[in-house]
Amino acid sequence: MTTESGNPDTLDSFDELIACPGCDLLHHRQSLQLGELARCERCNDIVQTRKESTVDRSLAAVLAGIILMLLSLSLPFLSLSRAGVSSEISVLDAVSALWLSDMRWLGFVTLAFIVMLPLARLALLGWVLWRIRFDRKIRSGMRTAFRWAIRLEPWAMADIFMVGVVVSLVKISTLANLHVGLAFWSLLALVAVSVYLNLALCKDTVWACIIRRP
Amino acid sequence: MGMHHSPPLTARQVGLKACTSCGSLQRIGSTAPCRRCGAKVSSRREKSVQRAAAFLLVGIMAYIPANLYPVMLTKAFTGNTSDTIISGVFVLIDSGSYVVALIIFVASVCIPVIKFVIIAGLALSLHFDWEMSSRTRSRLHVLTEFIGRWSMIDVFVVAVLAALIQLGAILSIVPGVGINAFALSVVFTMLSASSLDPRLLWDHIADD
Repeated sequence: MTTESGNPDTLDSFDELIACPGCDLLHHRQSLQLGELARCERCNDIVQTRKESTVDRSLAAVLAGIILMLLSLSLPFLSLSRAGVSSEISVLDAVSALWLSDMRWLGFVTLAFIVMLPLARLALLGWVLWRIRFDRKIRSGMRTAFRWAIRLEPWAMADIFMVGVVVSLVKISTLANLHVGLAFWSLLALVAVSVYLNLALCKDTVWACIIRRP
Repeated sequence: MGMHHSPPLTARQVGLKACTSCGSLQRIGSTAPCRRCGAKVSSRREKSVQRAAAFLLVGIMAYIPANLYPVMLTKAFTGNTSDTIISGVFVLIDSGSYVVALIIFVASVCIPVIKFVIIAGLALSLHFDWEMSSRTRSRLHVLTEFIGRWSMIDVFVVAVLAALIQLGAILSIVPGVGINAFALSVVFTMLSASSLDPRLLWDHIADD
């Protein structure tokens, strides 16, 4: 096997090849048309993608996502009435209620999966895409940021939270009257925007913009 | 390098390793991070099966108290009740909410158990080199990564109810210790699924 000592290996020689991330099979790099994707011939995993105006569309989705997240945090989320007593809470109220009444662990899990990780992912993507879109200098931190943005994806659980909220509404409907507020709808819109973001974001294109040139 | 389609080769077979974040290839002997994106590159994730097995074991261990202890305590002036995951499902069935009961049952019982069985099966099949179709194994792995997060539903249900239903003596809901164990179980099972390098599932074909 070749060792790297001595000659600085020329990466360009491998550039016509690409390995499937799912099974390691080598493929020739294709020049795709806009909107096409290449799948592995063995395991059917996606090897290459090329999506239309991915930076513009993804950046728009990220900015919309950040605005919707801030709205979801500040507007009333659910209100409850029972026997003349009523209360109204926002998402942050819910977390602080859990925190203050000694259910810190549950409050922390909710805050992390619903607010912090999704927001961190949007912020990282926003920074990377903004600098690409407006032709700013490519910084090495952008590579780390984009890597983490990809890694955080399964841990952003706003979609699951929404199902949980609907289940809670049904579960408690016999005991008290619950009503959904504006934050519920903006969080639902955030879930839709996140789906759109995943469809619009072409990792290959973004990597091509920010990778270190040999 | 003879890269003309028959027979197809893996990166490892030609002495290369692929970066899983940006897709660039580099020589397998190199210890440097990916030249283009800076990620740590390994041909196969280090100690992948051991890590998956260790996380899985913690996930299974946490799932036991998650089912034995109550996940939710309801304090009302009519009396206090406590529900485990399973008894919560039966309460929903009794009150006629069949769809919600099914959602909770699938998310909190079916998905975790299916994931335990699949990941254990994959880890054992890799460790003992079982004869098993790589296509099937790969599909099972994709399935576990896809369904795993949905188990968190019950954790969020308890969090929402406990945060909202705080009307003092009239009605209040408190999370039970079971829900903490359950959340831990979900997180560790997700870590277990993501520790398993899917490329390992195809290696026994390549080694022939």
